[in-house]
Amino acid sequence: MTTPAIAIRNLTKVFPIPFKRERLVAVRDLSLEVAPGQVYGLLGPNGSGKSTTMKIVLGLVPPTAGSTEIFGRDSQEVDSHEEVGFLPENPYFYKYLTGAETLRFYGKLCGLSGSTLRDKTDELLKLVGLEHARDRRLGGYSKGMLQRIGLAQALVQEPRLLVLDEPTAGVDPQGSAEIRDLIVSFKERGMTVLLCSHLLGQVQEICDRIGILAHGVLVREGRLEDLISIEDQTEIIFRDASPELLAEIQALVARSYPKTSLVETRKPRTTLERYFLDVTSGSASRD
Amino acid sequence: MPAAVESPSATPLARKVKHRFFSPARVWALATNTLTELVRLKVFYFLLIFALLQIGSSLLFVRFTFQGQFQMLKDTSLGAMSIFTSMLAILATANLLPKDVEDRTLYTILAKPVPRFEYLTGKLLGVFLLLLISILVMGAMFAVVLWWRVHVVAGEILSGGEPPDAVNQNLSELYASAYDPALWAGGLIIYTKAALLASLTLFVSTFATSSIFTISVSVAGVFIGQLLGTARDYWQTTGTLAPNSLLDVAFFKPVVLIFPDLQAFNLVEEIIAGAHVAPWLVAKTIGLGVTYVLVYLFAGYFMFAKREI
Ligand SMILES: Nc1ncnc2c1ncn2[C@@H]1O[C@H](COP(=O)(O)OP(=O)(O)O)[C@@H](O)[C@H]1O
Ligand SMILES: [Mg+2]
Repeated sequence: MTTPAIAIRNLTKVFPIPFKRERLVAVRDLSLEVAPGQVYGLLGPNGSGKSTTMKIVLGLVPPTAGSTEIFGRDSQEVDSHEEVGFLPENPYFYKYLTGAETLRFYGKLCGLSGSTLRDKTDELLKLVGLEHARDRRLGGYSKGMLQRIGLAQALVQEPRLLVLDEPTAGVDPQGSAEIRDLIVSFKERGMTVLLCSHLLGQVQEICDRIGILAHGVLVREGRLEDLISIEDQTEIIFRDASPELLAEIQALVARSYPKTSLVETRKPRTTLERYFLDVTSGSASRD
Repeated sequence: MPAAVESPSATPLARKVKHRFFSPARVWALATNTLTELVRLKVFYFLLIFALLQIGSSLLFVRFTFQGQFQMLKDTSLGAMSIFTSMLAILATANLLPKDVEDRTLYTILAKPVPRFEYLTGKLLGVFLLLLISILVMGAMFAVVLWWRVHVVAGEILSGGEPPDAVNQNLSELYASAYDPALWAGGLIIYTKAALLASLTLFVSTFATSSIFTISVSVAGVFIGQLLGTARDYWQTTGTLAPNSLLDVAFFKPVVLIFPDLQAFNLVEEIIAGAHVAPWLVAKTIGLGVTYVLVYLFAGYFMFAKREI
């Protein structure tokens, strides 16, 4: 059996509420595993404990009970951070640093130096499409650019695991699609990704597995396909089918009634996202 | 051009770079980053005020005898240096930690293999670098003004038309009153005091809930640290407070332990006044400062390690 990239066991986190005797249970008895190479989507409404779970996985916040591991090492050990890159929710980096300086800073924290660091910085700026802004201070970056530099920062030591807390929040559709494509490319390279997002369309496109949290409790968990496919229905899509052919097919189906029934006939639609991207892609002068 | 060949199964960087329990390179990266932050926040503008003060005071004191003139110049310059570095130490440090917490930058740093102790040490070292640059620049300005005044006064002596013996006598008196090597020790003590205040402020900011609170407590620390030692000495010499009495042990000693005993650093004033100060006293004062710095750093680490960020 391979070591899971993330193992969360019976995790509970309780925050005391100042000046009150009540306590707030942010995460309650949560257990889940993320296998290496998977893209795992953690979903749930605001305040359901997604960010808290991520921070505990990264060892930034201690758990009240239970434990979390990254590739078999306890999150509380600083060493376990070598394997993981993190992009927090709505991050602000040092706004007086340029894009290149920011990546150099995080690279140095991971022990990189010299030409390795220089090459890595160039490579990442290119990867996230910020070469043109490398010498501009982050104070002047747009939200989408900040998220991309945040992603680059998370990748600087080539970790095997990425933890992304709402990587596309507040980013326009183009930026958001670019970030999605980057995540897909990480997945192709065999990286493990744990992400949470409210853009369910994107989650559906990129995640292998999802878990749904509500009030700190994991209410559903499993392979995305298993969770959302409608088992007793089948979809067939034709191109250029004549009305006569369609009528024939419908007649065919009607013959095997009541065993089989036709639920719906419709024209498939492109998604609004794709339509929007097609329409606006000509005027690519953002940033 | 041939396509670049991907090296098969290149070891990821993370496994090539070995993590160490304490890495001077990481601390240095944090320190220089802190320094860059502060410099780009334009904190060095206060040096302009210092320069104006220098020039203004040196012009103001022209009408005194040169001994009086140089004494006044040393008083104002080193006095201003002391106040400016102390203020800079408190103001520059107070917001470092709260800002990183608020912007969630701290998450991105601590999510890397960076122990919290290194983070705090790096921040403090960054402020130390800032203070070092500030005091060196102020010292250089002071040296330039001093040299300029000596130059002017020497010119007056040489063209005064007195007999050569008297001229030589006057010149050597001039140099003696202007250049005092003990001023180096004064600068060192001023720096140590500022470093102490920076680490006190960083310690307070590890548990404070706002920067206003941090600044208030640190400034209060300066006054209490200054007054308390004096008060304790006074009451002890007048016999109101018996050494090791209950009041002394239960109140004064703990308070002096929490708030730094800044009275020792008044040694600077004696140095400025030209009194002979034994080197061991200077060393002892600096040793005291270094001890406080380490105590506050470890206390700060203790608070920060437990803190939920
Ligand atoms: N440091 C904290 N102190 C007190 N309560 C907190 C803290 N962090 C999060 N919480 C609470 O825990 C719950 C879960 O928060 P969070 O994990 O941020 O949710 P999500 O990311 O799913 O929106 C919320 O009710 C939030 O108010
Ligand atoms: Mg959240």
